Amino acid sequence: MLKKHPLTAFILFGLLLFLLSNRVDELRVFQGATVAIYVIAIASIILLTGYSGQVSLGHGALLAIGGYAAALSRNHWGAPVWLAFCIAVLAAAMGGYLLGLAAARLSGPYLAGTTLALAIGLPSIANQFSIFGGEQGLLFDIGAPPASLGADFTQYKWYFWIAALAALIIIYWLRNVMNSRYGRNWKAVRGNDVAAELAGINVGRNKVLAFTISAGIAGLAGALLAMTISTVSPGAFPLALSFSLATGAVLSGVTTLGGVMIGAVTLVAIPEIVDSVVSRYETSETVANNLPGLLVSTLLILTVLFVPNGPVEQMRARHERRAKR
Amino acid sequence: MTQFINMLLIGIGAGSIYALMAIAMVLVWRSTRVINFAQAGMALLSTYIGFELVQKTGNFWIALPLAMVLGALFSALVEILLIRTLIRHSTSGPVAGIVPIIATLGLLGFIRAMIGFIWGNQDVQIQPPLSKIGFKVGQETIALSPMNLLVLITVLAMVLILGFIFQKTNLGLSLRASAYSPEIAQLAGVRVGAIRTIGWSIAGAAGAAAGLLQTVNGTGTVSPDSLEFSLLLTFGFIAAVIGGLESLPGAVLGAVVLGLVLAFVQIYISGTLVFIVAFALLLLVLLIRPQGFIGTKAGRRA
Repeated sequence: MLKKHPLTAFILFGLLLFLLSNRVDELRVFQGATVAIYVIAIASIILLTGYSGQVSLGHGALLAIGGYAAALSRNHWGAPVWLAFCIAVLAAAMGGYLLGLAAARLSGPYLAGTTLALAIGLPSIANQFSIFGGEQGLLFDIGAPPASLGADFTQYKWYFWIAALAALIIIYWLRNVMNSRYGRNWKAVRGNDVAAELAGINVGRNKVLAFTISAGIAGLAGALLAMTISTVSPGAFPLALSFSLATGAVLSGVTTLGGVMIGAVTLVAIPEIVDSVVSRYETSETVANNLPGLLVSTLLILTVLFVPNGPVEQMRARHERRAKR
Repeated sequence: MTQFINMLLIGIGAGSIYALMAIAMVLVWRSTRVINFAQAGMALLSTYIGFELVQKTGNFWIALPLAMVLGALFSALVEILLIRTLIRHSTSGPVAGIVPIIATLGLLGFIRAMIGFIWGNQDVQIQPPLSKIGFKVGQETIALSPMNLLVLITVLAMVLILGFIFQKTNLGLSLRASAYSPEIAQLAGVRVGAIRTIGWSIAGAAGAAAGLLQTVNGTGTVSPDSLEFSLLLTFGFIAAVIGGLESLPGAVLGAVVLGLVLAFVQIYISGTLVFIVAFALLLLVLLIRPQGFIGTKAGRRA
């Protein structure tokens, strides 16, 4: 189904989500919106890793650019919501283009370290210029859901619809891009950049392009994240966010889009699981504070040690081996 | 004029602590070709151990070397348990480059969570062993306190000892040889595995010193989520990279330059801009002179 009629499959999945969103309670709807946003952000990292074999530790910074761009355009120019999201994508893509120009010349752990430095550095700009609203940040209000959807249509459900629709469109589009000429070029560059160059691929331009697109998608995720919490502030895009996104990407498997849900659901589920454990066994506050970090980091270490390509790729490799035999 | 001298003093003081961190990163990079993003977490753990030792012994002068030894042991343990497994499992696929980065990142989270479990998430306080009030020159108080002086002397002593080890001893020769080419060193009879562990443990000691000195020199408090340690990691990384990532003198030079630039920005422009200036400096060096201040064209192997 997914192989032969991807568009139909995506639409059916969307319908399923729509039906589901009417059945579950508010908290689950909100978590659903968060999962959708993480899916977008993780997909942007996977795209980036798809060309360089490197993981960005600073995608939180690109999310922040998107969030601030959306909030600024809405607050100052009164841009409609869809335009604010477009501006978020463009602004983050521009930032990503500049970063990509530098990053195209970076390899190995240099890219990881440089993006890490960006993630630490960028939020401080918000405190420097008053237009960004300092520590408090800016309001970002997309308004109530349209009246035509009915009176009992909640705000969270509206967020979920927007985020889920965006996630579906982005994943569908990325899937096509990955299978297009550009996707093949990126895979060639990732495999062996010298060989790719000899085959006539402009390595530098492809790297910058991948970085730009990845940043644009991250910007959209940032704007959506700002939407669900109604504000943008430096505190909303901490280093921990960048790290969790990198974690999510690794758990999903950085070489394929197929597992993108795994990382996103894990990121949302772990705090939830810890909450239920804590409330059931009435453990101390220390455990509640540190158990999520412990679980995530243990999972991360085990993943890179035993399934470095991610669970989906691992299963496919096993399947292929069995098919050969 | 006083302001300018203060800037130099602050810059060199901060730079000397970044230098320890940069040295730790360079040593780890040279011995296993891994950038250890958990270096800050390991330094944080050593700082907490230092805190316990200060509590137990009541003396900073005993706690510092002991914390360094324990930091070295922990670092060696990490190398043996995690990094060796990693190298043994290592694949040559597209993800080969990210595996060590993610593993050390996971280690960072793991250490933080462990510290939280053991010591809780509140700040703990370490009393500075010396006064933090600046010396007086004539009427003016300059930005150099007995504490700062201690940091400078400690760092200088460590750099000199490390320099001596690297240049004059057999151990240093083995360390340099296995960084230059593990295969050739192995053929020449160097036990590369053991040498790697030693490289990691020296790095652990340097990181421990950086963490403790940064803490007592700064706010005197640590918590598992200390921003200072994220900064220590980032600035240590930046210093190591602009120094060339391969050379110890380069790391020290890079750290002092970074310290001075940041002090200049902090005093003459704005304190909130230091992060972005550090980032810009990193980008600038990577674009113009990717091999760092000290380093040959072929030096960057990544």
